[in-house]
Amino acid sequence: MVKLAAKCILAGDPAVGKTALAQIFRSDGAHFQKNYTLTAGVDLVVKTVPIPDTGDSVELFIFDSAGKELFSEMLDKLWESPNVLCLVYDVTSEQSFSNCSKWLEKARSQAPGTSLPGVLVGNKTDLTGRRVVETAQAQAWALGQGLECFETSVLRADSRPQIVLQQSEQEPSQRGTVLCYWHPQCTHVMILAVQ
Amino acid sequence: MYRYSFSSRFVPIYWFVPTRSRRRVKHLKMRKVDLCLSTEGAEVILATSSDEKHPPENMIDGNLETFWTTTGMFPQEFIVCFHKHVRIERLVIQSYFVRTLRIEKSTSKEPVDFEQWIERDLVHTEGQLQNEEIMAHDDGHATYLRFIIASAFDHFASVYSISAEGMAVSHYS
Repeated sequence: MVKLAAKCILAGDPAVGKTALAQIFRSDGAHFQKNYTLTAGVDLVVKTVPIPDTGDSVELFIFDSAGKELFSEMLDKLWESPNVLCLVYDVTSEQSFSNCSKWLEKARSQAPGTSLPGVLVGNKTDLTGRRVVETAQAQAWALGQGLECFETSVLRADSRPQIVLQQSEQEPSQRGTVLCYWHPQCTHVMILAVQ
Repeated sequence: MYRYSFSSRFVPIYWFVPTRSRRRVKHLKMRKVDLCLSTEGAEVILATSSDEKHPPENMIDGNLETFWTTTGMFPQEFIVCFHKHVRIERLVIQSYFVRTLRIEKSTSKEPVDFEQWIERDLVHTEGQLQNEEIMAHDDGHATYLRFIIASAFDHFASVYSISAEGMAVSHYS
């Protein structure tokens, strides 16, 4: 039985739903925070996720990071040596999507020489009338950056994402997406699957 | 997509030469031994990562095919207890993916009062072990060594062997 640890950076523009997503992860989808809270620096969410069919688990240290430019310098220190990245944008905000490349660059600069697997998450799909970032557009960019991508609405209970871990031998689920990193025994794959 | 297979990333490495030469030294000068062997009484009394397939004892078993692995995030550390006062002349660490290594030592009976001893930035090696050699001059007195892996070249690092050439100064009662 191995307990692995991974540092997961949750990044993206202000008010795209990073903290709401982190709370969903923490509470296994039970808790949606209705009010906006501004994250200063980083909020740490620790979540232990089992790897199915093994006794192993991964203790995820989710660094729910401030989106405001004001805290950017602080993040440089707090983001040191990340293992996985979760980039979030708002499907109703073109700017939040275009800024993802800036966030990605900032995160990758913290992991020079090592791989930084990650996912791109488009949030707020419940706002269908206000959508400006198309799924295909996000997929094309994510593909070019080596990121997996999916869309979700943290607000709607039926589309809340959850973290599911799988061994690499297993096929990632269709709607899921992959965060993985390597361990001497095998490749542990993390899947953020939209249920 | 990053997918590494076990076989391509973790090639077993055979390193017979140092073990043999060490043995020869032992025969020529009876008092000089590898102080870091479990058969010489050394023990790993703390390790921050635990994977029962790759336990910390693997670092001091004299076998270069077995290793201790970290299980995610840094820093990571382990403490070697000699169960006696020793004077280290030469320290060799064989590892994989270690970037910054700090070594502290203590001369107390208990694992306390560690003082900074050595700090090294290791070179990234691909497909072979990092072989870091440290020559101690008059500052090799210790009862405990604490190894801190402050950073690594990958998400995980591993240590195959720790060996300390030197001699036992005294046993504590």
